[in-house]
Amino acid sequence: MSTKDITLTVNGETHSLTVEPRMLLIHAIREELDLTGSHIGCDTGNCGACTVVKDGEAIKSCLTFAVQADGSEIETVEGMEDHPDADGGLHPIQEGFEQEHGLQCGYCTPGMIMAGKAILDENPNPTEEEIREGISGNLCRCTGYQNIVKSIQYASDKLDENGEVAAADGGRAETDGGFTCGVENCCGGTGFDHTGGDNE
Amino acid sequence: MKSAPFEHHEPETVAEAVSLLEALDEPTILAGGQSLVPMLRFRLANPDAVIDLNRIDELDYLEEADGMLRIGALARHVDIEESALIADRYGSFADAAPLVADPQIRNRGTIAGSVAQADPKGDWASVLLAHDGEVVARGPDGERVIPADEFFLLPYDTTLDENEMITELRVPTPLDREGSAYHKLKRKTGDYAMAGSAVRIVLDEEGTIETAGIGLTAVDITNVRATDAEESLVGERPSKEAFKQAGELAAEQSHPESDEHGDASYKERMVNVLTQRALADAAERAGLVVKRVTA
Repeated sequence: MSTKDITLTVNGETHSLTVEPRMLLIHAIREELDLTGSHIGCDTGNCGACTVVKDGEAIKSCLTFAVQADGSEIETVEGMEDHPDADGGLHPIQEGFEQEHGLQCGYCTPGMIMAGKAILDENPNPTEEEIREGISGNLCRCTGYQNIVKSIQYASDKLDENGEVAAADGGRAETDGGFTCGVENCCGGTGFDHTGGDNE
Repeated sequence: MKSAPFEHHEPETVAEAVSLLEALDEPTILAGGQSLVPMLRFRLANPDAVIDLNRIDELDYLEEADGMLRIGALARHVDIEESALIADRYGSFADAAPLVADPQIRNRGTIAGSVAQADPKGDWASVLLAHDGEVVARGPDGERVIPADEFFLLPYDTTLDENEMITELRVPTPLDREGSAYHKLKRKTGDYAMAGSAVRIVLDEEGTIETAGIGLTAVDITNVRATDAEESLVGERPSKEAFKQAGELAAEQSHPESDEHGDASYKERMVNVLTQRALADAAERAGLVVKRVTA
């Protein structure tokens, strides 16, 4: 049985692991690193409960082998409270789910939150339609998506307010302890550039 | 379920990958993995070795060069979706990309992988067929260019040799007065197409259709060209009547299977409608090109 040594940086912390190539990223995260916030729902790539952000992009961690994430920066729901935008409490997206009743059973929530983070990282002011498209790979079977959409809108508004406060403060958002999420132009406060660009 | 154990190889060049293809016993190529990973886990595929292309930087491109749009084997659906070049010049590609699977899967899945998978319900093969595209393969004997028309054999089976890998997909860059579009019917995000139609038309200076390509999704054992519909369009001026006839001919050439989502006659009807809508969009886009050229 062959194994490989890999390095995963999860929520800013670097881990060295020895894994079988067949180990899925979700299993490495849950079983090897004991970060059980990311869930396994369908186990087939449909439900999105295992969504994590890898190098700035939302992916389904049940559709990627851990060896493929070697050297990557991974963000999971456990890292959200340590994010500079959380300001010592809940991250605005988490706060949104609390305030807007964005969950019932909570099973889909970690995936929804990470999909929501990927949406807002790319586009801080998404339309309702853009939010719905952005979470279209995530299933909620409790009730529907209305409050989940509202939760992400709440976060978008909250982050805007924080940005304005920071801008009034001389354009420098405060970051704690030099945390970087590893994504370019992500944790830089108001200087975030969301112009996109071509892919050549 | 876990995959059966396999050796994981990560070549950094195409040459290395090709040597591995030759040296290893029945290896499988992993690109985006959005179909392959579940297949491995359900043990529908049980290779001893997986050749992972993701570290081969030379395969990660999307560009126009030498009269062709070139899509490297590591270009992801999202690259097409977010490309200004595609949005500007390749209507069918721009239409198809956001309709593939869901955002997370589009971040990982590749266009070439989808073509190699050759699922007749996949979207890209239809687009490639409509554009007279080509598949560029590399094997121990060097490079081979396979016309899309000769690539698809059966569901999940292509004319790619066992020791060959796809390095690039390509289609001719748009001519003046060219327009293309893709329309797809699916029940919800993440589902495969119930039916889909990719269309490319080129008009001559008088506005008559000079070239027509139509590729259909989910209506046969492979993605297929609607050749009767294509022929009916050549020499016609774009019109509702001409498009209606083409839609009917495309439906007649379709052989969809009845399933829990709809019976065959319903899907044929949808092929007709989707083809007409795609033709209308393509014609409009061809017209816009005319305006841009004369302005």
